[in-house]
Amino acid sequence: DGGLSLLTILPPKQIRELALSTPISHKDVHHLSKITFSYPRSLEDLLQDVASLHESASGSAAPTSLIIVDGLEGYLRGPGVSGGLQQAEQSSAAHISALLYDTAAFLSQTLEERANSLAPCRVIASFQSEWEGHAGGDSSDPVLSVLDRYFQVRCTLDQDWNSALAVAGPQDTWHVYLSGAGITEAPIAEDEEDSSLAREWRLVICPNRSMEFTMV
Amino acid sequence: MPSFLPTVAEQLFKDIQKTYQEKTKIPDDLLIALRFVFGSCALQALDLVDQRSVTCVSSPSGRRAYQVIGGSGLLYTCYTSCHYCSCPAFAYTVLRRNESLLCKHILAAYLSQAMGLSQQEALSDQQMSSILSGRAARTDT
Repeated sequence: DGGLSLLTILPPKQIRELALSTPISHKDVHHLSKITFSYPRSLEDLLQDVASLHESASGSAAPTSLIIVDGLEGYLRGPGVSGGLQQAEQSSAAHISALLYDTAAFLSQTLEERANSLAPCRVIASFQSEWEGHAGGDSSDPVLSVLDRYFQVRCTLDQDWNSALAVAGPQDTWHVYLSGAGITEAPIAEDEEDSSLAREWRLVICPNRSMEFTMV
Repeated sequence: MPSFLPTVAEQLFKDIQKTYQEKTKIPDDLLIALRFVFGSCALQALDLVDQRSVTCVSSPSGRRAYQVIGGSGLLYTCYTSCHYCSCPAFAYTVLRRNESLLCKHILAAYLSQAMGLSQQEALSDQQMSSILSGRAARTDT
């Protein structure tokens, strides 16, 4: 793994449970040792956690190569953000997104210099929009439009309530698709079977939490 | 990393850098182009550059950022790789109205870099973290 490390940021209320294969293998333990978990309680703490990532980059610790932030919406609409003010939410969304982007740019440079890695530091963030389900119009979540400025690719998960598969059984069915400026313009041929070029999937989550992806 | 600037703006800054190195002034045609691309904040940004309001702060880890003293005397932090500023103009005209590419503080940072007119200041890693997070607006003196 080249001595790389991963930072996963979760909101404090998140269930601290990992879906691992059982029994846990030596490889799982080795991979877990590369992950740092952080549970900032507020947007201010989240900003500080991300802002301070550069401090360990000059030490002996492996540079962070992947940053995952789960539940970004909780930080943007929680304490520390002027409640209900769209402009304040947009500004906060821009601040954390820009800081993540700038931090990843810095860590990418560090990875190239120290770890001889050409793979950049990546950022993945999850965001649940409150605008889901609003009927009609061209309006989109103003916070999402800000996030789109800094995140090159958006992966959207829409729960499918109406397909035959969704209606037939107890599993959850989702429509998953990629969009954004980072998606290449090359068209996909109808007979293209290369999954690396896929941009749309159906996801079925069974009651036993197993997941099955099917290209659409 | 993808650029946050359109190609025309990137080329404009390169032209300004080259010309300023040779003549220590920005010719009228480039000033007009600046005004055309960036609108009214172009002149405001040039004022900030003239006042030497832009400081490039760095820390031992190699992390860098720009700090810009605005017209009101407040200090704003701008990042080196993407567009963000904590000023009200960025929040309103860039994020909310999508009417501008950037605010005068970010533009001043670009111009100062192109013209070699930014101040330099060294900070500790912890001070840099505070500034990047927005926890500290001013550096300790």
